Amino acid sequence: MKMKKFINQPQNLVPELLEGLALAFPDKVRLVGNKLVVRVVPKDRRKVRVVTLGGSGHEPGLSGFVGEGMLDISVAGEIFAAPGAPRCIEAIRMAASESDAGVLFVVLNHAGDVMSANITMDMAKREGRNVKMILTHEDISGGPNPEDRRGLVGFLPVYKVAGAAAEQGCSLDACLAIAERMQQNMRTLAVAVRTATHPATGQPIFELGDDEMEIGMGQHGEAGTGRMQLKSADETADIMLDPLLEDLRVKPGEELLVILNGAGATTLMELLIIFRRVAHVLRDKGIKLVRSRVGEFITTQEQAGFQMMIARMDPELIRLWDAPCDAPYFVVR
Amino acid sequence: MTETIRQPELARMFAAAAACVRSEHARLSELDSIAGDGDHGATMLRVVDRLESAVAPGSSGDLKVLLKDAGWSILGVDGGASSCLLGTFFAGMADTESDASALDCRGFTAACEAGLQAASRQSKAQPGDKTMMDALVPAVAALRAAADSGTLLIDALRSAADAARAGAESTRNLIARHGRAKHLGEKTRGHQDPGATSVALLFEGFYRGLAETKGDAGYA
Repeated sequence: MKMKKFINQPQNLVPELLEGLALAFPDKVRLVGNKLVVRVVPKDRRKVRVVTLGGSGHEPGLSGFVGEGMLDISVAGEIFAAPGAPRCIEAIRMAASESDAGVLFVVLNHAGDVMSANITMDMAKREGRNVKMILTHEDISGGPNPEDRRGLVGFLPVYKVAGAAAEQGCSLDACLAIAERMQQNMRTLAVAVRTATHPATGQPIFELGDDEMEIGMGQHGEAGTGRMQLKSADETADIMLDPLLEDLRVKPGEELLVILNGAGATTLMELLIIFRRVAHVLRDKGIKLVRSRVGEFITTQEQAGFQMMIARMDPELIRLWDAPCDAPYFVVR
Repeated sequence: MTETIRQPELARMFAAAAACVRSEHARLSELDSIAGDGDHGATMLRVVDRLESAVAPGSSGDLKVLLKDAGWSILGVDGGASSCLLGTFFAGMADTESDASALDCRGFTAACEAGLQAASRQSKAQPGDKTMMDALVPAVAALRAAADSGTLLIDALRSAADAARAGAESTRNLIARHGRAKHLGEKTRGHQDPGATSVALLFEGFYRGLAETKGDAGYA
């Protein structure tokens, strides 16, 4: 099928979307050059900066979470491709020059992102900058080896709690420890039912039969591992929730944050129906659902499907999750 | 007979490499759409633009400066793992003891080895994992074998290009074990890896570019 998208020149997708973001939220974010999204009002010099990087085409991720109480700088790459090290080191230098407390660099586990981040960290070290990196890797479809687990929507609670800790004046080590604790206590699984088209090439990203769904789908539409007949909302919720609870070894009485993230073309109606089932199952198992979000936080164009994320919370993580923040696509008052 | 690579030779090698990639970019995207998101050809077009402009007239005669600039410029393509590895490879080529203004067969081999070493630090992929490394590792090994046996530079480049192509073709029967495509497993078998194919095109270009300089159309 021919691509139907409202775009101009394919090579201008990224600069145009970032310009749009800055123009739509002029009190929150601005563009530096054509690929760095930064806070309009920088925080105090004594506070830690939180910087991230990632490909574009996943809006509102990742640049939509730049703002008070979350990110200070987001380095945007091309469509579905990580930005290179030159732009990342530019962001780190900028963040480091504005802060006496150091920089936390949040990286989602994807091959290109990690390579750029590693080169950037090598350079930052050589320049003697106070930067620490945290890798998010919570996608259980990658198998037992943590290195094989991709970073999916779990970036959101990591940005949130690390951003809140930084905003409250915690040290770099303390911000890193909070981010690590969030990362270690979260798990995500994704499912797709329909492919997306790459907005620059117009090509479908993968093939999926009319009556199929695929579990373990990546953020860039890269195909997953468990292909099966399309199931009902309740059955799908169960198929995804069970392995997540098992992998995180959740016990009755524990407190969970649950995030359902729409991939782009799955309706809020469907997400709410699935969420209802998740809440029921948790209740029946005696697991406490203490915080939740249902919406679109990282998308893959018009891919249909969703990511289900669960995270074990403790009083400090809940306090940081509840702290005020004011980013274009995440506001807590 | 051209036995050393200076700025003009390197410029022709990079221009020919760019031409090879440009003529095949549609195929690269097609190969990428099987296991990836289908933009590898577009990324490689941007990579070779940077490669070519790094050796444009007026660029440094110091090959180390030139290679560092080319690599850093390619890293700035923002094209994910492909541009990251290639940028690291070219920038890493500057990390040798070789003469900064001219590379003979041994010098070029040492530079490519340094580039491969730098790229290997970024990617844990080994030959057999269905990545760029399946073409890059044998190409550099072929250069080393040629340099050690005292082969002419042009013949060394020919054997490197052949080794890279054979390496790329060998990926057809492999299952991806690295990068995004690894999540596809068995489904990646039967198709050549786009990254390895790009590396083979670059090395074919290096040969053709040098062959042109000595007035030999070669295999072009």
